[in-house]
Amino acid sequence: MVCRLSRLLLWLILAFMPGQGAMAQNRWFDLPPSVQLHGFLSQAAIHTSDNNFFGETDDNVDFGFREIGLNGSWRILPRLQLSLQVLSREAGGGDDGDLRIDYGFADYSVIADADDLWGIRIGRVTNPLGLYNDTRDVAFTRPSILLPQSIYFDRTRNLALSADGVQLYGERRTDLGDFYLQLNLAYPRTDDPDIEVSFLGADFPGELADDPSFLGRLLYERNGGQLRLGVSGGMVNIDYQAGTADPLTSGSILFAPLIFSAQYNAEYWSLTGEWAIRRFETEDIFTRLGQRHVEVTGESWYIQGSYRFRPDLEGFVRYDVLYTDRDDRDGEEAGPGRPSYSRYAKDFTVGLRWDVTPSFMLRAEIHDVEGTAWLPFQDNPFAGATTKDWTMFMILGSYRF
Amino acid sequence: MAGLILLLLLGFPGTALSQGTVVVNPGMDVTALSQNAIRSIFGMRLRNWPDQQPIRVFVLPDQHPVHEEFSKQVLNIFPNQLRRAWDRLVYSGTGQAPIQVETEQEMLEKVASTPGAIGYLSGDWLADTVKPVRID
Repeated sequence: MVCRLSRLLLWLILAFMPGQGAMAQNRWFDLPPSVQLHGFLSQAAIHTSDNNFFGETDDNVDFGFREIGLNGSWRILPRLQLSLQVLSREAGGGDDGDLRIDYGFADYSVIADADDLWGIRIGRVTNPLGLYNDTRDVAFTRPSILLPQSIYFDRTRNLALSADGVQLYGERRTDLGDFYLQLNLAYPRTDDPDIEVSFLGADFPGELADDPSFLGRLLYERNGGQLRLGVSGGMVNIDYQAGTADPLTSGSILFAPLIFSAQYNAEYWSLTGEWAIRRFETEDIFTRLGQRHVEVTGESWYIQGSYRFRPDLEGFVRYDVLYTDRDDRDGEEAGPGRPSYSRYAKDFTVGLRWDVTPSFMLRAEIHDVEGTAWLPFQDNPFAGATTKDWTMFMILGSYRF
Repeated sequence: MAGLILLLLLGFPGTALSQGTVVVNPGMDVTALSQNAIRSIFGMRLRNWPDQQPIRVFVLPDQHPVHEEFSKQVLNIFPNQLRRAWDRLVYSGTGQAPIQVETEQEMLEKVASTPGAIGYLSGDWLADTVKPVRID
């Protein structure tokens, strides 16, 4: 009930925003210059030929994907800024629209001058992974409606987006280019409904608990982003506490991704590629099922090209590949009850973006997919009812201020 | 010889004849800024002047010709790339957005009247109510 009310409040606030262009600041409410308020509202319509994605989309059009967010920042002191973003997100069975804090932290810059910026952030901080993770929930900062799912799984989005703890950051600007370093020491958010199924294969009676985890990213940018190169990765530690009548025993899960990123931005076109190795290990959890130690390494990569026909019109093409187990690329060793095609996914996507105004964007894209490795479990509870080859058509409208 | 010198001067980055001159509020004690400083100020990464006063950055709309020239010639960044960099800061909570004005008239007024302000103007709009800044 409270969640419904706060979501309604968010809608109302956003409904009365003036549409003055993306970066119009503070003219209504007369906020002091040290305070800024931004927000966004996105709604999609999705149709799939088979399988369900973010709703009942199989042979149907579903409007179950919606994001409403509000963020505020306050530069209290020259070196201290507070930032907070709240979000309501609906994504079929995988996300229920409840209001949650995406990030909320205090940011203090210890060193700040023309060549350097070094500091610390404390609170719920965003996870520095790949090129797109830290702004993944805002439609305008994604390259397409859906991020490449092989690396940016939407079904474990909360876990991936942010964590509670500390981030150390540093920027160094040199004649060679700019270097950005971020290191997170934080507790992961284990409140995604799909995490247990994603990591353990099904929803078991026990509970997941978060443990101190580490993530980091080093980015190099030349000419303000004409060329961007990055490496990111870390170790995410989660504990499993067995419940009653649980076939699993208490133990630990380790998820260790390593991502290499590259992007080139010319005036009218951009080329992006990322490659990730995702190591996954469990200790003790599956002992009763005969596997004291499980180790699987997944592999993901994508290549994406975009072209700006006009400043307000951009098209893109992407090929995105996911192998849940790089030693079993055709999924033949998937195990009973799981189709081999659920262990990989190859997605060819074409899409278009039209900036109707600087604040309002329309997007459309078509995905031609072989495999179901990143399909949300909550929308597809019966693996046997899924189909190997499927297409997805999506349209999205998004407003921001 | 004078012709050659003139030619050299015209080709020299920072002479800013048509691509927009960086201007600051006249109360500021700034006459020159390094390329790194200009990039980090307009990239919204450097937030305070050496005396810790907040830097108030004013920009024209993305598709304004003066903004395009300034972005490409002075900052060496394509306007859409700059916009994306600002968006990343704003929507990850790690920075704030510049203040957008719609016309050069407004830019002149805002920079002249806002303490700590920095912006850019084309030659036609330069007036002595704002202070031009050299880029080294």
